[in-house]
Amino acid sequence: MTHTLHRRGTAESLSEDFVMLMIPAMGINDEGHIPKIQEFLRIALRHNPKNIGSVEMGGMIDKPEEVIANARKIGHVVFDNEEALIATLKDLKEANLGLSVVVSGIFEKVDKCLEKAGLKHHTANFSLGIWGRTEKLPSDDILEVTTMCGHALISPNLVKEMVREIKAGTKTPEEAAKVLMPQCACGVFNPARAAKLLAAMASK
Amino acid sequence: MRIDPEVCIACEACIPYCPMEAISIKDDVAVIDQDECVDCAVCLKSGVCPVDCIIFEPAPWPRSLRTTFSDPRTEHKETRIAGRGTEEMKTNDVTGRFKRGWVGLGCEFGRPGIGTRFRDVDKVAQVLAKHGVIFEAKNPVTILMEDTKTGKLKEEVLNEKVLSAIIECMFPIEKFKEVISALREVAKEIDTVMSVECINRADPDGSYPLRKMLDEMGIPYYINGKQNVGLGRPLAEV
Repeated sequence: MTHTLHRRGTAESLSEDFVMLMIPAMGINDEGHIPKIQEFLRIALRHNPKNIGSVEMGGMIDKPEEVIANARKIGHVVFDNEEALIATLKDLKEANLGLSVVVSGIFEKVDKCLEKAGLKHHTANFSLGIWGRTEKLPSDDILEVTTMCGHALISPNLVKEMVREIKAGTKTPEEAAKVLMPQCACGVFNPARAAKLLAAMASK
Repeated sequence: MRIDPEVCIACEACIPYCPMEAISIKDDVAVIDQDECVDCAVCLKSGVCPVDCIIFEPAPWPRSLRTTFSDPRTEHKETRIAGRGTEEMKTNDVTGRFKRGWVGLGCEFGRPGIGTRFRDVDKVAQVLAKHGVIFEAKNPVTILMEDTKTGKLKEEVLNEKVLSAIIECMFPIEKFKEVISALREVAKEIDTVMSVECINRADPDGSYPLRKMLDEMGIPYYINGKQNVGLGRPLAEV
């Protein structure tokens, strides 16, 4: 599962995109893990995430208590700023829940956040990009939106439809991002970043 | 996935939701191209149909693979993991799966948003096998192999199409140049795209030997990625 890797975008745009997840190691520390994942989500919720979700519920920032109550295997949260990430990391270090935590974002920025929280990276996953028949891909601006769902459940045509609606004045960029968000089954989609990207596409 | 022609009102609302562009209007009803559909259920679960005419019926083997690989809300019976892959580096602080001196390689076929037939996965897996990689035993693609020494997938799955499927394997870092060169060559022969990734355990000083190797070889990589931050317990000796 590489659902929070391969997010595309400029350095400026990715500077507002940090995904955290907590996961148990099956057969090692998965006994009694559910309350720990729920506590992780509660901790993150204190720091104003832009999305919160789980495989069971998808992303539902409007109904976080529902997500927390039903979280079972992996908890996800999305932040749009480093301060919130640092604060959450500090709280998680203090809480010592004992499950693995993964942070996705610009390496340089994440490393600075880890340092400020008194943590160090352990293992990295590097994206070497897209290989093969790349001529089949949609345009880069579409990919910046769709790759925020690592399972590719957000259709490029739905993104185009949302851009059309923004241009027509029938949806705001924020409303369009809210249409896209629930298609992502894990809650790792960043609606705040998406709204900015959609607005930029609609202005062309 | 299929659409009940007796109920469909041809409103076209579902069409933009399909990641595979498999829905079209024919004879005044929406129809799903069964060969292109990956049974991801995005059309159904979006709730966009105003008359509830989108239907999912579990398919028999091997078509059943379409759902388990394409809908992350379903779970592979063999691995107890939802989605396409495994815990990989997410739990490496606890599992110690990727030790110092080793590289994890992931090739995610069909991503982003193109989809893949297993025949392309098979082609690449056989090349990687020739270079002595160790396929991840809990990965659902590995489970589809006839023999992990050859990487060959079961014949009956080759034409099945899924939203994405991941080969996960590992090898000593000394083999990185050889493996990545072979991957570059076979990537020219596939009929889809693949997102490629590499996993590496940090050295005690915090540096990643693989990053140095990528820089030396001139292999581009994204400025962003994933990092396990070492909060899992008990910590593995890696």
